[in-house]
Amino acid sequence: MSRLLDRRRFLMGLGLGGVALAQPLAFQRIAFAENTTDSPITRRIPTTGEALPAIGMGTWITFNVGGDPQLVDQRTQVLKTFFDRGGTLVDGSPMYGSAADVMGEALAELNARDRVFAATKIWTGDESETRSEATRSSRRWGVERFDLLQVHNLLGWQGHLETLKSMKANGEVRYIGITTSHGRRHREFARIMESEPLDFVQLTYNLLDREAEEELLPLAQEKRIAVIVNRPFQGGALFRRFQSERLPGWAAEAGVSNWAEYFLKYIISHPAVTCAIPATSKVEHMKENMGALYGSLPDPAQRRQMADYVRSL
Amino acid sequence: MALDGGVEWQSYALQDFVMFGPQVFLRLFERINQDLWPWTLLAVFAALALPLLLSHQRSASRRVGLFLLACAWGTSGFAFLVSYFGPINWPAVWFGWAFVAQAVLVGFLAVKLSADSLPRLPYSAATLWVIAVVGLPWLTVELSGEWRALALFGLAPGTTVAAGVLVSALFTGLARWLYLVIPVFWALFSAATYWGLQLKVLLIFPVATLVLVVIAIWLSPSRAQSRD
Repeated sequence: MSRLLDRRRFLMGLGLGGVALAQPLAFQRIAFAENTTDSPITRRIPTTGEALPAIGMGTWITFNVGGDPQLVDQRTQVLKTFFDRGGTLVDGSPMYGSAADVMGEALAELNARDRVFAATKIWTGDESETRSEATRSSRRWGVERFDLLQVHNLLGWQGHLETLKSMKANGEVRYIGITTSHGRRHREFARIMESEPLDFVQLTYNLLDREAEEELLPLAQEKRIAVIVNRPFQGGALFRRFQSERLPGWAAEAGVSNWAEYFLKYIISHPAVTCAIPATSKVEHMKENMGALYGSLPDPAQRRQMADYVRSL
Repeated sequence: MALDGGVEWQSYALQDFVMFGPQVFLRLFERINQDLWPWTLLAVFAALALPLLLSHQRSASRRVGLFLLACAWGTSGFAFLVSYFGPINWPAVWFGWAFVAQAVLVGFLAVKLSADSLPRLPYSAATLWVIAVVGLPWLTVELSGEWRALALFGLAPGTTVAAGVLVSALFTGLARWLYLVIPVFWALFSAATYWGLQLKVLLIFPVATLVLVVIAIWLSPSRAQSRD
């Protein structure tokens, strides 16, 4: 027994135990990393070169659970799984009901405020409210400042963007951007991308909604703007439509082992895309989503094959 | 095509306006019943006592019935809509306060109407009331698979409104139409919500409400007089 547990091993174990108690998330991430064969896929934010894991997390609908303690606990577990598997970027909006408060509770519970890449939106028609809405959101999330503030669906974008630029210059936010979804207002969106100094844009792109490939994604590459992709599963419709189908025989060669990875790896393998933000309320689904953060990505020929395959179904 | 403000309204589906999931919505019924237990028994008692009071010969009993009904509107509005539903769906807060206003209206009518202008609730309406408050609460149980998710009269707006509209059979003229404004708007709003959530079984609530509105108008005193 004395050979098995000498003083040095005892002290080492005590130290590691302390670290595990103080930083449970970090410890579990190490444990998860040891079980995987590779490191997470990251993309650089063009304006700074900062690396960002290519799978983030959205909170639309899924984190709007009000004051339901049981569901807040469940969502906290979803967020924990996301962090454990290497995710960092979480995206929200004041429009999402109680989602910001639930996120604040979950981050506090997991002691993960310094781990999250916090992204939210400015969602008000009053263009003088930019700063105060950002402050309200940061209180709800429990973060000192946001990493990324985006103008939600271009609502009052002129005024908000001016304030956001000044907030960025003052160090009140690290990155700024604009968002759209469902393929809306792409022409105006492109015009803003061409004329404004944006760090990020957020748009809808998935295997069935590929309009962004025509103009917005090439433009983002040209203007060196990071791209966050929302609705990667088309609001769950892709699963409802294709889940009962078998994956093609060549899926493994493209680094894909389930439909979630199929849909997500198609997106993050586009060279303009920085990060996709699937939303889920289930830990098991989060695990599947985060599987797309590891392994190989499809090459351009395989991407074409992937798109052709779902079209053929 | 972009309209004023550049918003492409036609690209929106009903689902785009629903910002919570079906599970979260059904949990509201379970939570309010659990949190208010054992006071939820009062809601059951009120639901069954109300048709007796409102169809009683003594006008004082009918007045007590109206006060009880006002409490049901108020509790459903403030407890369910403002306190539970509001945090996940902001329009519910507006409806919650509208339900409280409805409670004030019913309380006002209970005080203001003379014994002659406050007729008895017809037995047919009382029977429909009992069917509504006994049958409708099980719709949410059927969907959630959890008996604690009963949509009780006096707490859950769907059952409260569906049964509550039968009381419009007591009123005439402006009072009746004022009384029906909020129930009809709620029926339309809730129908859109249930459709957006794809909880189609719950459409029985607004459909029952609108059918009972028509029946209540048919049974109302002014209608009865015009038939004579």
